[in-house]
Amino acid sequence: MNLAVQDGGLAPYLILVLFGFLPSEVWRWISFFVARGVNEGSELFIYARTVSSVLMVGVVGKLIFSPVGALAGVPLAARLGALAIGFAVFLLARRSVLAAVLGGEAAIVAAGWWWGN
Amino acid sequence: MAQTRIAEDGGLTSAERRGLFLEGARQALTGPAYFVAVALIGVGGLAKAAGFPPAAAFLSTLLIWAGPAQVLFFGAIAAKTALPAVAVTITLSSVRLMPMVLSILPMLRAPGTSRRSLFFATHFVAVTVWAESLRRLPDIDREKRLPFFFGFAIACIVMTAIFTQAGYYLTEALPTPLAVGILFLTPVYFLSTLVRAARAPVDWLAMAFGLALAPVTQAWVGGGFDLLALGLVGGTAAYVCGRFVTARRAEQAS
Repeated sequence: MNLAVQDGGLAPYLILVLFGFLPSEVWRWISFFVARGVNEGSELFIYARTVSSVLMVGVVGKLIFSPVGALAGVPLAARLGALAIGFAVFLLARRSVLAAVLGGEAAIVAAGWWWGN
Repeated sequence: MAQTRIAEDGGLTSAERRGLFLEGARQALTGPAYFVAVALIGVGGLAKAAGFPPAAAFLSTLLIWAGPAQVLFFGAIAAKTALPAVAVTITLSSVRLMPMVLSILPMLRAPGTSRRSLFFATHFVAVTVWAESLRRLPDIDREKRLPFFFGFAIACIVMTAIFTQAGYYLTEALPTPLAVGILFLTPVYFLSTLVRAARAPVDWLAMAFGLALAPVTQAWVGGGFDLLALGLVGGTAAYVCGRFVTARRAEQAS
């Protein structure tokens, strides 16, 4: 079987389903069957939630400490500073996620303008 | 017959379910749907760079619905990686969906929920929907959660698919400050959502361990396994410490 995106026609879609969708989706299917025995508040439930949270913090850490693309052009101090500003706005706005995002974004866009031009 | 139908739908009338679905969609459209949508604009540009037809960008969001897997998929194909190797990379990156599904499905399950709806629900679990569900579902009556969840998740996925498609056409044209802003959206949004959703000591411990261990696993674990190692080692450590803290508190209280 020789599939290539350049073949055109249905080939790119077949590649998307076979090598993109299925390898990812299989975990959702497996989890569905594993989840049968898991109840809300059970220890396995709490453990799964904890592992997910750590993974997410890890992803955030990667994006901040070893960023790709345009974000790499902004110094680390500015990236951390923008996160801190986002957090400060979050607390000021009574724990509003939207406010945190807008505050942090305003800071990083300003930094991108300052260091990018 | 009529009775079984009601039982399957968790005892809600179709008008109630529609109302909950719309409320979920409305809440998603107050922020989360746009955050994940904007964060995935770049995926569209990658799809174009990898030589895919336009509809593939839209479809990748509907089908894969996991940002990192989509980035890896198009990025690896653009770099001429062999397709079986692409599949292995995607599988590795999507293992993290498993604990997410395991911590969402038990919240969605109510007496009489059909297994088919729950199976369908797993497809929508990805980081944004996971984090928002963790925070929003506990405040909703159990039998009302599933329709709310579908409204919320479908609003997110459709909005994101539209933005991925837009990204296919306009990525190169973005000025630097905007490109920086788009890349920064994921970290600032996910971090604040995590903080917002934290309830028990174990949630804060997860963040502390994640932050402390991320540089370690990144330096010591290679081959795309570092996040997986971080999740297992850091997650287990945070869980054990969390149990210890909870036990101590219970002891002091008694």
